[in-house]
Amino acid sequence: MSTSVLTPDHVIALVEAVQRADSALGLLQATQALAAAAHPGGASCLVEVLGFNNPGAAVAAVDGLIAIGEPAVDTILTNIDGYNYGARAWAVRALAGIGDVRGFEVLEDALGNDIGPSVRRAAARGLGQLKLDRLAPSQRCATAERCLQALVEGCRDGEWVVRYAVVVGLESLAPALHPELLEGPAAQQRLHEALIGLWRNPAEEAPVVQLRAALALQRLGVSHG
Amino acid sequence: MAASPPVPHRYPNTMAAGDVDPSLPGNGDPISEEEALRRLRLTDDPSAQYYASWWLGRNRSRHPDAVPLLQEALRQRRPRDPGAGVEENAVARNAARALGKLGLPAQAAIPDLLATLEDEDHGLREAAARALGDLRAEAAVEPLRRRLASGPSVAGAQQPGTPRLQEPCEALLEALGDIGVAEPPVLAVIEPFVAHERPLIRSAACRALLQLTQERRWGDQLVQLLQHQQLQVRRAALMDLGAAGWREALEPIASTLAEDSLKLIALRGLVEHHPAMPEASAAPDQQTVAVLDAMDALL
Repeated sequence: MSTSVLTPDHVIALVEAVQRADSALGLLQATQALAAAAHPGGASCLVEVLGFNNPGAAVAAVDGLIAIGEPAVDTILTNIDGYNYGARAWAVRALAGIGDVRGFEVLEDALGNDIGPSVRRAAARGLGQLKLDRLAPSQRCATAERCLQALVEGCRDGEWVVRYAVVVGLESLAPALHPELLEGPAAQQRLHEALIGLWRNPAEEAPVVQLRAALALQRLGVSHG
Repeated sequence: MAASPPVPHRYPNTMAAGDVDPSLPGNGDPISEEEALRRLRLTDDPSAQYYASWWLGRNRSRHPDAVPLLQEALRQRRPRDPGAGVEENAVARNAARALGKLGLPAQAAIPDLLATLEDEDHGLREAAARALGDLRAEAAVEPLRRRLASGPSVAGAQQPGTPRLQEPCEALLEALGDIGVAEPPVLAVIEPFVAHERPLIRSAACRALLQLTQERRWGDQLVQLLQHQQLQVRRAALMDLGAAGWREALEPIASTLAEDSLKLIALRGLVEHHPAMPEASAAPDQQTVAVLDAMDALL
């Protein structure tokens, strides 16, 4: 189903189906249908589903919000302070997937402070894939450097899966720190050093993190030993 | 104080590691190593000892006092005291788990863990078996084999009035697989459990046999269990495929219905427990990159 054939009535009907759902399975199916519509008119309802403590439906709602993309960001951010913990975690995942720079501060805070490793993991990945090219050049550089700073701090996270996501985030952030875009190579060097640090970390309990760092360095063309 | 550390999962923690910064998220109640050792000495405060044992294992303590104190805690028995919030033998169980995580320095505690494997407390035998598996204790193979030798109809029979089996079969089977002695008498004792009525026991038996033999038939059975209608069984099959490093399960793992966090743990296992695990210092080969790509997609 594509957005163009959906009338507002269709969306209203899909939203009402979610609101009427009276079983876990019914909620899941109605959410999946609304998510598949990928229509901005469904965003508020999908955001509500994040708070229903139904993981299956929340996964579908996150997918739907990511499919809606930028038009869903305001709705997510307006509601985020009122979220319970579970809903907030899902909202971070949605913002990470959408990649809109308005989500930056939520992702930064989540990577540094959230108690859930799955939330920090999503935030680390998200910080590497913000759509920075939509920003004015000066703001673009500043935001890229703040992403770098947050990811560098994430290198010391206590959970292997978060450190793994930090590697992936750093790799995907690299093009935004190209010396031609910034005032010199300092930021790019910091990024490379962070990856080399993860790759060489003698205290690393998860060899998979080191392997992923080696792969990132290889893909970025950094000679590392 | 947080007295409820996470229940250890089936994924064996076998990697050596250094210090983890406890002030960062994910590392538990931020206490120092000295504080953990102090709390472990508080024999009249089992909930402090319970947390301290967990902390020392979680943070892979290398302090010379850690192993001796955990050995003492392993011998600690006390009557059930519901008011204290800590069950009988809970400290000893956590001490066993922690010893399993401490690697080389904990080899000194293998005789203690072997003695604990003969304890009458089912939960304590279970924790000891897992720790012996984590420590790759070859001395444990014969006692583990002996506990399972009566087969699914005796060792694997349900205890009247409880959901437990006569023996902690899952832990015993997993330990035999982790230790890795693939001799015919060991295989012969494990094989009948592949037909146990409980899917979790079947999964543990297939895992051990796959680890010991790398034979496709056991991998295929685990992949089938990824389709089981119960989430709990799918989760176990995920962990078991990861523990065996069975790379052919890459696609089924990525597409099974379970939490992404568990799929990531299983895929990590495919990378790290594969017989041809590359040096972490080298760039990964193509097959490993395929697993890493699947992990990236789940973040």
